[in-house]
Amino acid sequence: MSKKVKQKENRRVTGRRTFLLGSGMLLATSFLSGRLYQLQVAQNNRYKRLSDRNQFDWRVVPPRRGRLVDRQERLLAGNAESYLLHITPLYAGDVDKSLAQLASLIELNDEVIGRVREQARKGPSFRPILIRESLTQRELSTLAVRSAYLPGVTFEKSLRRIYPQGALTGHVTGYVSPLTSREIEENSSLGDLPDLATGKIGIEYALEPELRGTPGGERVEVNARGRPIRVFRDFEPEPGGDVKLALDIGLQQHVTEILRRGQSEPVDMATAEVQRAIAGNRDLKLHLASGENMLLRDSIGNITPPESGAVVVMDIRNGEILSMVSSPTYDPNVFTDRLLTRDWRRLNEHPRNPLLNRVTAGLYAPGSTFKMVVALAALEAGIINERTSFSCKGSMELGNATFHCWLEDGHGTVNVVRALERSCDVFFYEVALKTGIQRIKAMANKLGLGDVTGIDIPGEKQGIIPHHEWKLATHGVVWTPGETVVASIGQGYVLVTPLQLAVMTARLASGTKAVTPSLQTVDGVPEFAELDISPAALRIVHKGMFEVTNGSLGTARAHNLPSRLGGMAGKTGTVQVKRITKEQREAGITKNIERPWKERDHALFVGYAPIKDPRYAVAVVVEHGGSGSSMAAPIAKAALKRALETEGKA
Amino acid sequence: MAAENVTIFRTVLRIPWHILLVAGVLVTVGALALYSASEGSWTPWAGKHAVRGAVGAAMVLVLAFIDFRILRIWAYPVYLLSIVVLIVLLGIGGGGVARWINIGGFTFQPSEPTKIAVLLALARYFDSQPLDKMRSILTYLPPLVMIIVPFILVVEQPDLGTALALALGSLTLLFVAGLPWRYILVSFIGLVAAVPVLWSQLHPYQKTRVMTFLDPEADKLGAGYQITQSKIALGSGGLFGKGFLMGSQSQLNYLPEKQTDFVFTMIGEEFGLVGNLFILGLYLLLIGSVLGISYRVGSRFAQLTCIGVAMMLFLYVFVNVAMVTGLLPVVGAPLPLISYGGTAMLTVFLGLGVVASAVVHDRPAVE
Repeated sequence: MSKKVKQKENRRVTGRRTFLLGSGMLLATSFLSGRLYQLQVAQNNRYKRLSDRNQFDWRVVPPRRGRLVDRQERLLAGNAESYLLHITPLYAGDVDKSLAQLASLIELNDEVIGRVREQARKGPSFRPILIRESLTQRELSTLAVRSAYLPGVTFEKSLRRIYPQGALTGHVTGYVSPLTSREIEENSSLGDLPDLATGKIGIEYALEPELRGTPGGERVEVNARGRPIRVFRDFEPEPGGDVKLALDIGLQQHVTEILRRGQSEPVDMATAEVQRAIAGNRDLKLHLASGENMLLRDSIGNITPPESGAVVVMDIRNGEILSMVSSPTYDPNVFTDRLLTRDWRRLNEHPRNPLLNRVTAGLYAPGSTFKMVVALAALEAGIINERTSFSCKGSMELGNATFHCWLEDGHGTVNVVRALERSCDVFFYEVALKTGIQRIKAMANKLGLGDVTGIDIPGEKQGIIPHHEWKLATHGVVWTPGETVVASIGQGYVLVTPLQLAVMTARLASGTKAVTPSLQTVDGVPEFAELDISPAALRIVHKGMFEVTNGSLGTARAHNLPSRLGGMAGKTGTVQVKRITKEQREAGITKNIERPWKERDHALFVGYAPIKDPRYAVAVVVEHGGSGSSMAAPIAKAALKRALETEGKA
Repeated sequence: MAAENVTIFRTVLRIPWHILLVAGVLVTVGALALYSASEGSWTPWAGKHAVRGAVGAAMVLVLAFIDFRILRIWAYPVYLLSIVVLIVLLGIGGGGVARWINIGGFTFQPSEPTKIAVLLALARYFDSQPLDKMRSILTYLPPLVMIIVPFILVVEQPDLGTALALALGSLTLLFVAGLPWRYILVSFIGLVAAVPVLWSQLHPYQKTRVMTFLDPEADKLGAGYQITQSKIALGSGGLFGKGFLMGSQSQLNYLPEKQTDFVFTMIGEEFGLVGNLFILGLYLLLIGSVLGISYRVGSRFAQLTCIGVAMMLFLYVFVNVAMVTGLLPVVGAPLPLISYGGTAMLTVFLGLGVVASAVVHDRPAVE
């Protein structure tokens, strides 16, 4: 073949193959177009949805929590603006590095860093982790300036619960704290609100549904680094309802002070002597560590912590709780942030359990304050009348046992009024034996003892009013008459809460209504159940309670209210916690104050005022306070006095 | 003087202006896309891109004035030079990644223009072969070596994507030069058999890419993230797109590398299927024009060069579009003239310049 032909032949081959190549390219491009059609037209809806999900972050907006105010609208629990600091591991990349950077800019303790690390390791990387709450303005501006170098770190405004009255109302308000995993398990819709704080105890817990409100919703446009660009509010959150409490902060403050002070004087903490006392006493140190700021000097010169116990002041007509003090107490503000282990440990190491609400959950033997119950049961059953007398020689024999009266030499011959006035034990031993524990138990229940009062905070204790069936069921043996004797002076098995004592006193004073307590203000006069106790019997008991503060030998005659306030009636109670041992007696230790605190008697007082047309009932328990007449009665008097004096001014 | 003026005038007339026009439209589209990628700003990408486009077009014009025969003479030396550069690069880069060199502040990827060098060398080779040897297998062995050497050097950088594009584009020249079908069939079978061996030679990150391509959903937030997000962006664009500057995926930075490899996705999100097909149409026009020129030029050297340039262009486009639509693994392939990045654009303009030179200076084909 010639060169020309050969050349032509090659050219034809190349031309043909180029055409093939071009066709292949066209085919491949058609294939790509088909793929594009599939993605962009056929599956458009699906990808549109995915794109929206990328673009928008659905967020539930927590509602503003309802406020708590006292009866004069003074704030007990409110909301303060606060800034939350979050980190999202997905965008942060190296969480450890980010945390180290943050720690150099703001205060971050190791505990927090450890927790965030742990959460970053366990949780999904796209979920923001809370680093800190309540950033200060200074910290906020420090971080804002450097935000470009802190990928995945975001801060946002939120509301933080505050308790302006702090420890003063700690046991009433309770507190809110971050959601627990248990709460989310029980109500999965809460999972959308990781930063929601819910009531854990107190009013905050009891009225949670009312206070919380309804969450709103918003769409936040976020870029791939998790930075919010724009916000669309779709549903406005509905704020929770405000709640007005019956509490009177002024009274609460006053009562707290007199209870804590007891019969002692506060000392100047700065003196060398007090500092020495603190240094040598672990107990005092633990009190001070958990925020205590007052120490007392008792009657024999020892430095002691403030008194512990409970006081309830209640409006007899409608059951409103004007004051509810449990000492020691705690500051609920420490719980609203993530509770630090340090704070938690201190609260737990406190020797007197400040987290216990003694008013509703503290169980105490009522002691002689129980004698009204026995008297009423006997009077109603017709076993005694006003003139029935017994002779007290300082003790009573029953079988082989001897039951002593608190007055060694005895009270002589006393009727029910005198027996209440002077708190004669033997009289009530005799009466109780004749009345029987079943009747006493029924009367106790009528007056509100031995059962929850239904007050609007959780954790209320039922207490114990023993009787035949109870003994058999719990101990498996029959009730003995000796146990009736012990129960008649409110000891032995009998256990009640201070709140129950206040309810009992309110019902006694009311005479007709089975008053129930309420922490919220009550409109008008509530329809309480009828008390159903004979007025004649009640009159006799009232007389006895009158004589306690007014009689020449009354156990609380030194602590009556002035007549301009209408006077008061009441009953003392002194509950033996531990017998004085033989060794102590031989060593000459017979006075309460000389014994170890834990072994001293509880001091109780219940009372109401004014005597005519009673308005307020009070119950006082001072743990290991010595005697009802010297320790509890003056506190009750001061509380009633302040309540009566404030009345009408409010 | 007068004769020279006439020559210049004739040259200007013969320059394939339509090719420059299409390239110009593509560069403009690229600049607009990059303007959107930076949330409506000429910095940092769009402005530079436009300037580079203008420089590239000027380069085409300069090449158009260079006699094509000079290119033929320089084909082998240029090929050798690029091989040397690749070797030196490997030596400097050591065990690490040696894809880039830095010249006066510009990062430059020599493996890209190497494609042109290999192309010219192959065209030169086939041009000089005796015409009756084209059916012999021996004729095709030296070109294989000429391809394999740069291929291995680029694989070693390591840049598998570019290496494969280089090999595939060059092998096309063997095909159009007349490699008999039986050898094509045999090599195809051999290639399939070699896949497991190649797999074992891959770097871990390359393996990850391939595995991710096979199952992108498995690792949504890792390597599969790019493909998943790219599909979401494209798919949510629909027929007409979300509108210029309105692509939420791109504007909110869900789409990675939207200014380089994933620019086609961004255009798809903002202009929909219509926008994407328009761009594919422009490329077909460009590639078709270059292929058309291969029929009009007289010398075998010019003919093969044009086909090679067309194939190179097509491979860029196909690999990129197939990649962003999830049909191929993420190999790091730019969309020519639209993606931000100087080297690929330079390579494409070099190719177009060579074509322009061929059109202007090569003798026309005689039928």
